[in-house]
Amino acid sequence: MAIIIDHVNYIYDADTEMAHAALKDISLEIPDGQFIGLIGHTGSGKSTLIQHLNGLIKPTSGAVYFDGKDINDPEYDRKALRAKVGLVFQYPEHQLFEVDCFTDVCFGPKNLGLSKKEVELRAYEALKQVGFNDEQFYQSPFDLSGGQKRRVAIAGVLAMKPQVLILDEPTAGLDPRGRSEILGLISKLHEEMGITVILVSHSMEDVAEYVQRIIVMNKGEVAFDGTPAQVFSYHKELEKIGLAAPQVTYVMEALESEGFPVNTTAITIDEAADEIMKLFR
Amino acid sequence: MKKKHDEMICTEDLTFEYIRRDEEGNVEGITTAVDDVNISINPGEFISILGHNGSGKSTLAKHFNALLYPTEGTVWVDGNDTSNLQNLWNIRQEAGMVFQNPDNQIIGQIVEEDVGFGPENIGIPTKEIWERVEESLKAVGMYEFRKNSPNHLSGGQKQRVSIAGVIAMHPKCIILDEPTAMLDPNGRKDVIRAARALNQVENITIILITHYMEEVIYSDRVYVMDKGHVEMQGTPREIFSQVDRLKELRLDVPQVTLLAHELKMRGLPLEDGILTIEELVDQLKKIRK
Repeated sequence: MAIIIDHVNYIYDADTEMAHAALKDISLEIPDGQFIGLIGHTGSGKSTLIQHLNGLIKPTSGAVYFDGKDINDPEYDRKALRAKVGLVFQYPEHQLFEVDCFTDVCFGPKNLGLSKKEVELRAYEALKQVGFNDEQFYQSPFDLSGGQKRRVAIAGVLAMKPQVLILDEPTAGLDPRGRSEILGLISKLHEEMGITVILVSHSMEDVAEYVQRIIVMNKGEVAFDGTPAQVFSYHKELEKIGLAAPQVTYVMEALESEGFPVNTTAITIDEAADEIMKLFR
Repeated sequence: MKKKHDEMICTEDLTFEYIRRDEEGNVEGITTAVDDVNISINPGEFISILGHNGSGKSTLAKHFNALLYPTEGTVWVDGNDTSNLQNLWNIRQEAGMVFQNPDNQIIGQIVEEDVGFGPENIGIPTKEIWERVEESLKAVGMYEFRKNSPNHLSGGQKQRVSIAGVIAMHPKCIILDEPTAMLDPNGRKDVIRAARALNQVENITIILITHYMEEVIYSDRVYVMDKGHVEMQGTPREIFSQVDRLKELRLDVPQVTLLAHELKMRGLPLEDGILTIEELVDQLKKIRK
């Protein structure tokens, strides 16, 4: 059931003077049910990479396998794949278009050719999963707040019953509470549905608290791949490629260099507080 | 004309309402986006405005260069009443605005052409336009890209070109409305660094609207908006020492401040409103002795 990316290269505008390699020899394995943070600065290739996962972009060379089958094989049913690998784009609320939330969420499953009953059942479940009450179902999506619109857009993808959910910068432009609400929702979906989640983000703080694995992209290559604690221990290298570890990691580093005997792998506020409190016992 | 107000920006009982209509155009109700706001911002200050989505901060900011006019109350920009149409061009030139999405604000085919667009429109002589373009691009560290196409710049670089375009108008005040929302950490740092440099070196008044708490700690004063009014104001330290209050307002504090707050809750005698890693480490050193 896993996704395997095997020596994938992708070159934009390959036959022109503007040709540039967006992905260089990427090999990754994404097992079922993992919660992954995909991080990299603008232009690092992370968006190009996720578009390979549901066949929106075809690799220049190399292959992507889903459930052991090459998704770019001419025989492969890519339409079915796009239901299984759901992609939530940046600012997904710009893609809402229907008169009410419920109809908007029905649009995806309707296109899968399901019966009306099944479509409506899925839309109902999906809106419930993102925390909507029955009375909000028939509101116009355009009357909702930014965070709520984004929930409707996520429900639209959930209604496709994906096995893999990919979200590109789902917190961009939201206020701090809105950010933590959306991240909490995604984490809950991961736990309850057991699906694979890939969260694309710039923000280490956001990702550190939730994900099991972080993949860092730089200039089209995988720079780091490991647990959050493993990846953030390379904070000096991360800075060189335009990223940073969470602020608490730097606090722990600073304490260590001042001679405090602390473990510097803390990445969340709670972990850091636990570690610091040990000093004062 | 004698100036009524010496402040860079001054609002008196500013209220802004808009009418909501349904699909047939019937009035559904009135929303008060800005509600009785009185603030004054002095020349040369670095001011930050915080507030959750929908708190009215962008609507407030749009009054600062006469993109919106008050429903009630008055706004003065460098002594000019914004509701007096004769002041419009003056105000727009003195108070420049930078928006969230860099792609919506760049029009030129080449970076230097884009930066020169503003001064050209107000009839500056060609020679001076080029001087202004050069100094503006240098001020934001984008001079080496002057011959590039803006399409091939990163988000942070585009945003700095937008700022250069505003600087070329020789404004006294720059309003940045979530300039870093769409940028990665490096782009964010560069834009904030450029804004601080303009404030410190050129003494331009800066008004920064943001959702990123880390960007606020260097400002002189912070206003926190909620439901259209100013809910809190003070220095960053005064504001960020009220962690619980900020959370109620859907906001946050920098991670270091939050860690210090957590440690305090667990019984360590730390001061309120720690803003930097150095402060926290210093205080921990003191308690441990």
